[in-house]
Order: sequence, then structure tokens, then C-alpha cells
Amino acid sequence: MSAWWLKFDKYLEISKIAYQDTLTYLVSLLSRAGTIIFRIWIFTQLYTVTYEYTGQSQVGGMSVAMVIWVLMLTQSFASSTRPLVSKLIEEEVKSGTLAYSVNKPYSYILFHLFGYLGRCWANLVANLVIGVLAAVVLVGVVKISLVGILLGIILLIFGLVLNFLFSMIIGLSAFWLEDISSLHWIYQKGQMVFGGQILPLALFPIYWQKIIYLLPFGQMFYNASATMINFSWAAFEQSLIVQLIWLLVVGVGAELMFRLGVKNVSINGG
Amino acid sequence: MSQLMVVKKHLNLAWEMIKLNIASAMEYRASFLIQVLGMIVNDVGLIFLWLIFFQKFPVVGGWDFTDSALLFAVTTTSFGFFMIFGGGAMTIARMIHQGQLDYFLTFPTNTLWHVVVSRTEIPAIGDFIFGLAIYLIFIDYSLGSILLFLGVAILSALIFINFIIITQSIGFFVGNFEAAAEQLFHALLGFTLYPQSVFHGWLKVIMLTIIPAFFIATLPVSLLNNFDWNVLLVMFLFWLVTLWLAIWIFYRGMRDYESGNLINVQM
Repeated sequence: MSAWWLKFDKYLEISKIAYQDTLTYLVSLLSRAGTIIFRIWIFTQLYTVTYEYTGQSQVGGMSVAMVIWVLMLTQSFASSTRPLVSKLIEEEVKSGTLAYSVNKPYSYILFHLFGYLGRCWANLVANLVIGVLAAVVLVGVVKISLVGILLGIILLIFGLVLNFLFSMIIGLSAFWLEDISSLHWIYQKGQMVFGGQILPLALFPIYWQKIIYLLPFGQMFYNASATMINFSWAAFEQSLIVQLIWLLVVGVGAELMFRLGVKNVSINGG
Repeated sequence: MSQLMVVKKHLNLAWEMIKLNIASAMEYRASFLIQVLGMIVNDVGLIFLWLIFFQKFPVVGGWDFTDSALLFAVTTTSFGFFMIFGGGAMTIARMIHQGQLDYFLTFPTNTLWHVVVSRTEIPAIGDFIFGLAIYLIFIDYSLGSILLFLGVAILSALIFINFIIITQSIGFFVGNFEAAAEQLFHALLGFTLYPQSVFHGWLKVIMLTIIPAFFIATLPVSLLNNFDWNVLLVMFLFWLVTLWLAIWIFYRGMRDYESGNLINVQM
């Protein structure tokens, strides 16, 4: 009988392979990271003009530079999750290759989770190097704390897993729905609007903030970015609690959907 | 055959292709409706974001929510028109890379035209409906105004198609350009999301040249806010120049095109 860490070891290998595979397509990796420069550049012009019109140097406790850094991190984190897990799962469900995967001596969900984390890590490094350089050139540096960075990393890891589980659920919906592209769009739009990818959640009107901070979208990438740039214990604690509740709910949901979906799989040989 | 007959023949081809594509998509009625309605919900999300933004910051560089609503009306309508009528343009780089253009070379029609009109993106019907609805709800519903809006949106769509043909055709010269062409497409779309009045400096220069969002988003909004024949003429001339460039780069690339050896069944 092998020890648990030996069982875990194979998942780390899966991560490593996905990481190396992502690095192989360097042009794709860099062009994706390059688009972050454009976005940050646009945001800098948008928020500089916006703040000038308000006549204030800080809105919602954030200066223009802080807004740009938060958006740069949020965009970098979100962009690192490409290609979408939901698309990969959908393809496996529709093509039937899932039938072969579920017979292998590993957990199907963990296999995809670790592959996803490996890809995210490779993309994240490229996105952050380019994104940080762009932010420094465009708005300069901002004051950050080591505690904020470390606790932000914890929120980021949970956030990445939360995004994975949602994507898994969307991908597994292909067991029952003919076409799930609209679910992809709506989910991505939810992230864009309520996930602080264009308008930081701290800049939303107060009555909207009360609802939006409870939704899962901000828990994926925005709260990690905000913790890194504008750290406060109270905000961190609240984020962590909401994030863990969503992780539990969506984790159970993904597992149940997978078990139900696999019952639909039939292997016909050939 | 006279020039007029040739034009008529190609317009007929486009019409038949769109009808066929939509009819075949409607065979799966539920999927068709989900795609169209899904896209409308998706677009509503965008307008909602700017509704919230302008609640917090009512005016940005002289631009308010009505301007953003007009911007979304024009860009989603023109994008919808482009993807319904010319969705095939988005697949040129992939077809070059995989040697799939052979299929189109066997027909007695203009190859570029045939490729462009060969595909209809069904969700784009949702974009078209959304754009028109936003215009009617937030801007104006008089007949003259709607006709002007549709005319400007179609001209913007035609410029959009030229940009896509140009970027996708780079694949003839550099091999696999599919991912890069898609990034350029998203960069163009990215520019059309934001209040156009905030752009300045080098970013504006990029919008006027490499990624021509100025002609697809800024000018149409300006034209619909204050109609000016000179602005319309500028848009028209830009369309002509990009059309010439798109045709030139595509057929120049075709000279270097290496046929694929795959045997495909075209459904």
C-alpha cells in the first residue's frame, strides 16, 4: 500500500507537465500577457480622467495608482486561467474522451485541478512580469506590505480553486445541455462586471458593494488583488469566510454533478 | 457577364449562405435560442457595468451614460452584422494554417467573398437585436434616426471585416497566426468598451492606425450625436482604403498559399 503523499505525487507531476506544456507555446503565452499592457494603458487613461473630474485624489480609499495596480493584478490572475477549464471539460464530454479518463487510476477532478494550476502558474509568471512593468511605467510604484502580499496569495490560491470548480460545473453541464457557450459568456461577463476586472469593487456605490462582496465573482481574483495593494485585516477576514463558504458549496456541487454525469457515460468499444 | 450581374451573383451567394446557415442552426431550436438569448444576457451585463460606473462618476471627459449606451448600440449592432454576414473572415488564419482554403478554390466565385460569407455566427443575432433595442430604448425611435443608425453601423461593420481580413491574412506570410489574430481582434473589441473621450496620446495614435477603433467606435458615435457629412466621408474613405488593403493582402498571400493534403468533408 502506498503512502498518501505518493498518491499525491502523481498530481504534482500532472501540474509540472501542464506547466511545461504551457511554456512550450511561448508566442501564445506572451501575446496573452501582452494584451494586459493594452488594458492597463486604457485603465490608466480612463481612471486618470475620471479622478480629474471628481476633483479627488482618492475614491473609496484608493488613488489612481492603487486602482491601476489592483486592476493589473486582477487581470493578470484572471488571464492566467486560460484556456478555460470549462471548454476542456466540454470537449471531453462531447467527444467522449471523458469515458477513458474516468477509468484511469486518478481522480478526474483532481487531475484537471492540478493540470489547471500548472497552466495558471506558467501564465501567471508571464502576466505578472509584463503587468508589473507596465504598471510601474504608467503609474509608478505603490506602497504594499509583506503581510498583504502573503495573505493575498492565500486568497489567490483559494480563488483559483473556486474559479476551477465553477468552470468544472459549467463544463459538466454539457452532459445535459446541447450547447453551453452561453454559460461561458455569462460566467465571464459575471467575472468582468462583478469580479472587479474593469471597475474595482471598492468604487461601486455602497449599496451595490453590500451585495457584490457576497457574490462569488469578487472572491476569485479581485479580493486577492485588493488585499495585496490595500490591505486590511477586516476585509481579509470577511473575504476568507465568504470564499470558504463558496468553495464548500461549489465543491460539493461539482462533485455531485460529476457523479451524476458519469452515469450518462457509456463505453461502446471500438 | 456585366459587372452588375457579378455583384448581384455575389450578393445572392451571401444571402443564400446566411439563410442556409441560420436554417441549419434552427434545426436545433433549443440550442439556437440559448445562443441568441445567452448573447443578449451577456450584452446586458456590459451595459449594466457602465450604468453602475456612471452612477458613481456621472460625467467622464464630457462623456455620460447616454454616450456609452450609444457606443454599445453601434458596436454590438455592427459586430452582430459583421458576424452574421461575414463570420467566415474570423477563420481565415486557421484555414491557411490547416490548408483548408482548397475547398473554396474550386468554386467559380470570388474566393475572398466566398470565404467571408461562408459562416454565420448564430449568437451574433443576439448582438444585433441587443444593439437595436438599446438604440430604441436609450437614444431615439424615429424612423429617420433608425435608418441613419443602421447605415452607420453597417459601414462600421464593413471596416471591422476589412480589419479582420487584413490581420487574419498575415497568416499567409508567418505560418500560424491564428492566436495572434484573435488577440488583435480582442484588442480592437477592448477599445470599444470604454468612454472614447478618455483616450489620448499614443493610445489614440494606435486607435487611428494599427487597431482602428477610432473608425469603428469613436466616429460612429460622433456621427450619430452630431451628423456631419465630412465625418461620414472620412469613414467611407477609410473603408475604401482598408478594403483595398484587405483584398491586396489576401490575394498577395494566396500566391504563397500551400495547399493542404487533408481530405475533408465540408458540411
